[in-house]
Amino acid sequence: MLAYVVRRILATVPVMAIVALFVFSLLYIAPGDPAAVIAGDQATPQDIERIRATLGLDRPFLVRFGEWVWNILHADFGTSIFTGLPVTQLIAQRIEPTFSLMIVTLIFAIVVAVPIGVLAAWKAGTVIDRAFMAFAVFGFSVPVFVVGYVLAYIFALQLEWLPVQGYTPISAGIWPWMKNLILPAAALGFIYIALIARITRTAMLEVLQQDYIKTARAKGLGEGRILFLHALKNAAVPIVTVIGIGVALLIGGAVVTESVFAIPGLGRLTIDAILRRDYPVIQGLVLLFSFVYVLINLMVDLAYIVLDPRIRY
Amino acid sequence: MTDIINHEGVAIAPQLPDILPPVKRRTGLAALLRHHPTVLVGGAILVLLVLMAIIAPLLFTVDPTALAPARRLRSPSAEYWFGSDMLGRDIYSRVVYGARVSLVVGISVAAFASLAGLFIGLIAGFVRIADGVIMRFMDGLMSIPPILLAIALMALTRASVGNVILAITIAEIPRVSRLVRSVVLSLREQAYVDAAITSGTRTPQIILRHILPNTLAPMTVQATYICASAMITEAILSFIGAGTPPTIPSWGNIMAEGRALWQVKPAIVFFPAAFLSLTVLAVNLVGDGLRDALDPRFAKRL
Repeated sequence: MLAYVVRRILATVPVMAIVALFVFSLLYIAPGDPAAVIAGDQATPQDIERIRATLGLDRPFLVRFGEWVWNILHADFGTSIFTGLPVTQLIAQRIEPTFSLMIVTLIFAIVVAVPIGVLAAWKAGTVIDRAFMAFAVFGFSVPVFVVGYVLAYIFALQLEWLPVQGYTPISAGIWPWMKNLILPAAALGFIYIALIARITRTAMLEVLQQDYIKTARAKGLGEGRILFLHALKNAAVPIVTVIGIGVALLIGGAVVTESVFAIPGLGRLTIDAILRRDYPVIQGLVLLFSFVYVLINLMVDLAYIVLDPRIRY
Repeated sequence: MTDIINHEGVAIAPQLPDILPPVKRRTGLAALLRHHPTVLVGGAILVLLVLMAIIAPLLFTVDPTALAPARRLRSPSAEYWFGSDMLGRDIYSRVVYGARVSLVVGISVAAFASLAGLFIGLIAGFVRIADGVIMRFMDGLMSIPPILLAIALMALTRASVGNVILAITIAEIPRVSRLVRSVVLSLREQAYVDAAITSGTRTPQIILRHILPNTLAPMTVQATYICASAMITEAILSFIGAGTPPTIPSWGNIMAEGRALWQVKPAIVFFPAAFLSLTVLAVNLVGDGLRDALDPRFAKRL
């Protein structure tokens, strides 16, 4: 088992290496002079020269890539072209709101979606099940910012239960922090809930047909015990897999959600970086988010060992 | 969104041989629509939306880019059906014309990503030496969240509809390639492919006769989900200012322009939002119906 854990952890290294190589070389694959690409249309020759110096374009590609990776391994993501500040510092300033939003959404989505999926599978073929399936298709179709605006309109503008936008750091207290996160998390979690609930339903339908469920019913176990202890535990592997894969949706969605709810997080930083063509910042953000994504899916893989003792690689 | 289906495709990949479509007798379009009403409903909405996009100039619209600063921020009325924005442009006309961008991007990305994915997937499935290299590279690309990848690509290029299509296509390719490759790998194990190989059929012939036709069903379903996902991604890119140039009305652009004022004039945001959601819903309905129709065994499971 330890060998598997070590092998699985080592397997993330080449994946991250490819991500890094891709993110780094994108700038050079794009047509035209990289410095001019970054500088944009209204750049003066001085601007382009300054950017050329920042990027160190006079040295060979592999040397630059090697240096860049070396610096990243030492938590140095380079310097923002627009602000002149280290990318690491810019990211550190903005990381709390984004990670708060993502973690709250993740927990909220799992707590809501799994029981819905279990219920739909238990009542398969009934009105409840059909209503849920309709909700799932709906959930996949309504983009995250649309959900965000609708929720904000109803609960913030009309009912005035929650703030329309903004963010309060967690250091100001749990409730003020939470109050600002409820609507964004609900908006961001919408598609994620549809995704997790649907895979839960599918996995549960499969498990509920197994003989040991019949046995459990025959020996008179309560339905709740059967569903949540016996069935759900055996349906866990695909559910956990989809939770891990769905984090990509959370990351992409967080950028937009922050924009709708005016949350000063990494999404805001991403948008500013695009508008200013601040490519070092974009590189840092893509790398960071990909790393989080790979890390979460690594944890999912390791969770298999706990969830299904039969899995031994 | 395609991601979901793709991801589920990945999640269920080990069982893929099991869910491969059985040889199907040809059934007519009418039968398909009768047995799968979601295709009918989704298809009907889509036809209407495509018509709307094509005959936009005839639908009582005015020039969607015409400025009228004196008449800005009007509420919906007989003159301005959906109201006017902060530059006095008619939102109804902008929303109707905006359908063009969404549909063109959705359909183009679905077509290009399918073709590229088919090509890469076939190579990976047939050329053993290339397989490892290609799939490791795709694994890397797949660990970049697709929207973020599209954002990074857009940051390097000029804002244009063509570049939006290119960026989203590149972000979608890894998942399609993976799907095609897994279909190819399981088909190669089939007895009739073995038989074709032993009887001396050359590889191109095998691909053309035996492999390609069998990838069509899963690819069609996949293409509809790519189309839905691409339309959402386009709207997101435009919404955050990294997509379709502001001079072209697209649903994402209209929402981006309405963002600053949405608390006062929610209509500017809600009309394009409703059309975008309806369009994506219609595509997803067609996709779900096709999935059930083309793959009866899978339909029972879901």
